Amino acid sequence: MPEVELINIAKRFGKVTASADINLKVADGEYVTILGPSGCGKTTLIRMIAGLIEPSEGKVFIAGKDMTNVPIEERDIGYVFQNIALFPHLTALGNVAFGPIVKDMSEEEVKSVPQRYLEMVKLLDRMGMFPDELSGGEQQKVSLARALASGAKLLLLDEPLSALDARVRMDLRYELRRITKDLGLTVIHVTHDQEEAMTVSDRIVLMRNGRIVESNTPEALYLSPQNLFTANFIGETNLLEGVVKEVLPDRSLVELRDGTVVEAKPSKFRRGDAVVLSIRPERVHPANEGLNSVIIKITYMGTYIRITVESDSEDTMLFDVSTSEDRVYSVGDRVNLIWSKRSGILYPRPPEGVEEAIKLE
Amino acid sequence: MKRMDWVVDFISRKGFRKGWTVFIIAFFLFFVVIPTLYVVTYAFTDWSAIETTVLSKPETMSVIVNAVAASFEIAAIVTVIDFLAGLPVAWILVRKEFRGKEFLDTLIDMPLAVPTAALGFSAAVFWVMNPDPVPFSFSVISSPFFLIILLHIVFSYPYMVRSLAAILEEIDDTYEVAGRTLGASRLTAARTITLPLFRAGLATGVILCFSRSMSETGGTMIALSTMANLGIGEAANFFTGSTLIGEWRSLVENDPTYAPSLAFVSILLIALALILLIILKLVIMKFHLPLRKVWPMQEKMLSRGIFPKMKDGGALLFLALIVLIPSFFIFTYVLFSDPASLDMGALSYALGYSFLVAGVVTVIDIALGIPFALYITKHRDRASSNVLDVLVNVPLIVPTAALGYSLFLFWGSTGLTGGASFVVLTLAHVAFTYPLVVRNVAGAVEEIDPSFEETARTLGAKPIQSFHRVLYPLIKSSILAGAIMAFTRSLGETGATQAVLGSNALTAPVYIVSLVKADELYQAGLACIILIIVSYIFMLVLRYLTKKRKEAI
Amino acid sequence: MPSIILRDIKKSYGEVVAADDLDLEVENGEYLCLLGPTGAGKTTALRIIAGLTKPDSGQVFLDGRDVTDLEPEERNAVLLSQRYSLFPTMTVAENILFGPSIRKVPELDSRKTLVELLDLVRLTKRADSYPRELSGGMQQRNALARALATNPDVLLLDEPLRALDARLRIDLRHELRSLAKALGLTVIHVTHDQEEAMVMADRIAVIRNGHIVQIGTPREVFDDPVSPFVANFVGQSNFFVGNILCSRDGRMTTVEDDKGHVVFARSSEIPVDSKAVVAIKVGNTRVVKRSDAFVMGTVERTLFEGRVVHLDVNAGELGRFSVKLPASRRDQVAVGDEVGLNWDIPKASVFPYPEGGLEEELRVD
Repeated sequence: MPEVELINIAKRFGKVTASADINLKVADGEYVTILGPSGCGKTTLIRMIAGLIEPSEGKVFIAGKDMTNVPIEERDIGYVFQNIALFPHLTALGNVAFGPIVKDMSEEEVKSVPQRYLEMVKLLDRMGMFPDELSGGEQQKVSLARALASGAKLLLLDEPLSALDARVRMDLRYELRRITKDLGLTVIHVTHDQEEAMTVSDRIVLMRNGRIVESNTPEALYLSPQNLFTANFIGETNLLEGVVKEVLPDRSLVELRDGTVVEAKPSKFRRGDAVVLSIRPERVHPANEGLNSVIIKITYMGTYIRITVESDSEDTMLFDVSTSEDRVYSVGDRVNLIWSKRSGILYPRPPEGVEEAIKLE
Repeated sequence: MKRMDWVVDFISRKGFRKGWTVFIIAFFLFFVVIPTLYVVTYAFTDWSAIETTVLSKPETMSVIVNAVAASFEIAAIVTVIDFLAGLPVAWILVRKEFRGKEFLDTLIDMPLAVPTAALGFSAAVFWVMNPDPVPFSFSVISSPFFLIILLHIVFSYPYMVRSLAAILEEIDDTYEVAGRTLGASRLTAARTITLPLFRAGLATGVILCFSRSMSETGGTMIALSTMANLGIGEAANFFTGSTLIGEWRSLVENDPTYAPSLAFVSILLIALALILLIILKLVIMKFHLPLRKVWPMQEKMLSRGIFPKMKDGGALLFLALIVLIPSFFIFTYVLFSDPASLDMGALSYALGYSFLVAGVVTVIDIALGIPFALYITKHRDRASSNVLDVLVNVPLIVPTAALGYSLFLFWGSTGLTGGASFVVLTLAHVAFTYPLVVRNVAGAVEEIDPSFEETARTLGAKPIQSFHRVLYPLIKSSILAGAIMAFTRSLGETGATQAVLGSNALTAPVYIVSLVKADELYQAGLACIILIIVSYIFMLVLRYLTKKRKEAI
Repeated sequence: MPSIILRDIKKSYGEVVAADDLDLEVENGEYLCLLGPTGAGKTTALRIIAGLTKPDSGQVFLDGRDVTDLEPEERNAVLLSQRYSLFPTMTVAENILFGPSIRKVPELDSRKTLVELLDLVRLTKRADSYPRELSGGMQQRNALARALATNPDVLLLDEPLRALDARLRIDLRHELRSLAKALGLTVIHVTHDQEEAMVMADRIAVIRNGHIVQIGTPREVFDDPVSPFVANFVGQSNFFVGNILCSRDGRMTTVEDDKGHVVFARSSEIPVDSKAVVAIKVGNTRVVKRSDAFVMGTVERTLFEGRVVHLDVNAGELGRFSVKLPASRRDQVAVGDEVGLNWDIPKASVFPYPEGGLEEELRVD
């Protein structure tokens, strides 16, 4: 059964370290996403699992077997490429049939298997077309069918959606998860798109500078990130700088730059510690009292309205209000903002500065 | 400054640009295409002469048929061998990373730097069976046919490897990787995925090799003469289409009755070359490799262990033994021969003349070839540009001896040949080197994202400014590569030179041919070495300049 | 006075129509997003304005001047291409100075511009780097500075954020728009990303098959789409197909399908008994008690998406409905639950049934 295990993996290209100290276990049937900004080493990692490059240190195990020196074609994986890479000289059907043919399946399977997978991605009616006659989304679906038809139980997806239009991408990611779950596959999916990662995965592994920052379910990473970088990368968040005033059993009190005291979850900090408070925009609400702020921008988002404010504590903050709300907001208005103590999370203030700690590139 | 602005403004005017385009195209048509094919008109104006002096004489016909048939057979065999031996090397160059790769890369181009006259001599002394063999030579070949095959492999092989490598570079290796993740072994993936995508490169390689072999005159003549001088008399009566033109061209000056035969051979070679290459192109593009068939187990076995190593080793051995050693054997030959005195005055005059012609030719090629290349790449949507694109290949395909004779007739008909031999020779060399520059530059321009120039235009640059400031720095190295190719081709060319000027020609390769014919082999060898060294120094200087510029980028 | 006008532009490449009676007016100082799927003719429209593509017919006006026959360098409209096209042989500073040097701006002035622009785009420390040494975001800013150095009237942005990471893209949206606004530029920004368009644009022009389908503020385009395509492309929608039961009471339209299911939408002019499509934005579809429900269904799967939870609800004969439930309510719904769905009636649009069928109408690919 294709569980995957990486033990102490490191990869160096000359002096550049692409990844280091990677230990990761992917269970059978699990959908794991490796997420991170450009250059964080996620592509190197998936290429090492596939055998396209050899790690400088450490070992890759697939289904319990050590993969060192096992060539790509014997690892029994399905691989979907960012640039799609359908064979341009073969039809959609020819592409999907490639795996069954080279794996020497029976005559009958070579006929039936490709059709079955093309049907699964709803492209049976296009099987006679060449890749350049298909749209981007259709091409990527054929490429998925091709990877599945080779019979692999481990699927590696290397930024499979990033070449596609935003709208197509959205539809396809739901489909991707449905198909792989129906087939019970183990999936490792690489992406830089946090929204995509949230939607498709059982678990997200967040990487930065060649190392794993944090690994957990999408829900846990969004609701209680252990790390300032994670908090900002997985969905937008407001980051307020302050000093711990008091820590009580049920909440922490933080004093902001203007002296306003706000609430957050209980924490292990002590009075006087420099901290950063993270609070998601949808958790911030206008009220009669709270952090005093001025509206500087109002953006209509369709199903909600996003308001940007400059607070008296010199922090720029975002908060969301419903479109059906009666109150009319306009730029220049003053508002007071509050949030529940359970949704504010505290992090130690990073010595290199907040901006550096959450830098995306 | 002010005057420059005025010039920029002037050449940016629509009227000027239109006029310039017309001029460039007219130059190409009247100085390159029409002279190349002019000989064909002979068939219409003097068909009766051809009928009486050629077609009705079985012995003349049999000489022609044998020579032309030999040309085709040799070209076909050479092309096939080049492909089989060149593919693994191209693969190594593009897909593998190893120490010394750059060295291998340079090695492959080395035979191109050696003028074919020198190659012919070098290969002959290396291969030809000889009662008194030069030390370290192979000395096993007694058939002129095989000798010419071995010779033609030497200088056509680099073209094949380069064409195959170029196309391989363009085929994204994710295709192959994708195939392997689906379970295909290395060999299966390469055969069923990469090879079918390969056809365009294959067509280019085959056409280049085939036409190079068909067209080569000087080296072939020298190899055959040397062979005859080494005691194999059969070689003196062995002709390829191109050497036959050379031979008869030297006779026609005293005996004008050879004119119709010459014209007939030329027309025949031109026509056959064009027809055959069109067919070849169609066949290669339509040809289907047996893709559906796979033998997973066997191919898996062949992808492992010793087999790939044997294939690579064999290909490299071929490169060393068949291509490189014969190219440079001339040094060994001169080292082990008895010295004799060489007329340095005549040689330096010939060398100087050759360099002057090659220099002027290269300058004309660059000045008029770049605008032409820009025109055909920027107007891909127009039928006219596609027609020109096809036409530009014609002088590459037509055997240069036939081309030379055609030019002789064309410029002769304008009365230019007598006094102005330098002008005519230059024009002749422009005809067959011009396409090299155009091809190189057009290829480079097509690789460059047009949005660079477009962005420059929206930033306020006139077309000439956006070319000069943005495009030119990006294609500089390709222009230089084209220039080097044109220069060395002109320097080494014998067939066309002889066909245009007859025995009056005074270029270095023609001088070497005359030395060999006079059985002054040592002097010929020495002259070859000097020619090689001088062209090598020249190439190194150019390479150095290109490299410096590349680093600047 | 309108800054950019396209009038009756037509352009086709063989069979493919890239602009079909394209009309567009952009006000001076406006930030307009041209939004559409791949192949809709967005880039063609941009290239026609820049002068890089000649239209088959029609006219282009910039600041009231007919520029249809002018060369690109005579238009003062700068195009920023998708991959930025920074000149690889020039440094960051040289790239920025390209425009001024072509225009023969005096050395002193162009130095001043360079210093200001480097500062504006935060690249002062990288002035002597080559583009390939920069990160994606820096390259984008370098290209922007190069465009601004020519002091353009009009800035044409061809998917300026596409080549960047998703998370970075979100931050740069605000940055790019603020910059354009601060400098008072007229901008046309081409994108396929509806969220990007919503956040950045003063007005959105939705383009499809070479034709502007709808133009308006983000609010207008989102709330009052003119066709099922727009309803689905700008924010996903759930659809219901049926016949108009009643439409003229001025308050709402009642639509019934052939199985007898009835739903409600805003009032419309569509005649009774004709076939129609009701579109409800996924984000405006609510989970409610059975008694308030228009539609009942079973929850097939739930996906946590951060601020919301995505639900796929199988409504039997009515097909699948998608719902975004606020994340704070995520514990109230589980897979297998039977739930009721409804929506604010004024937020459901209703359209005549499209001629080519609904699936064809909604194609985004």
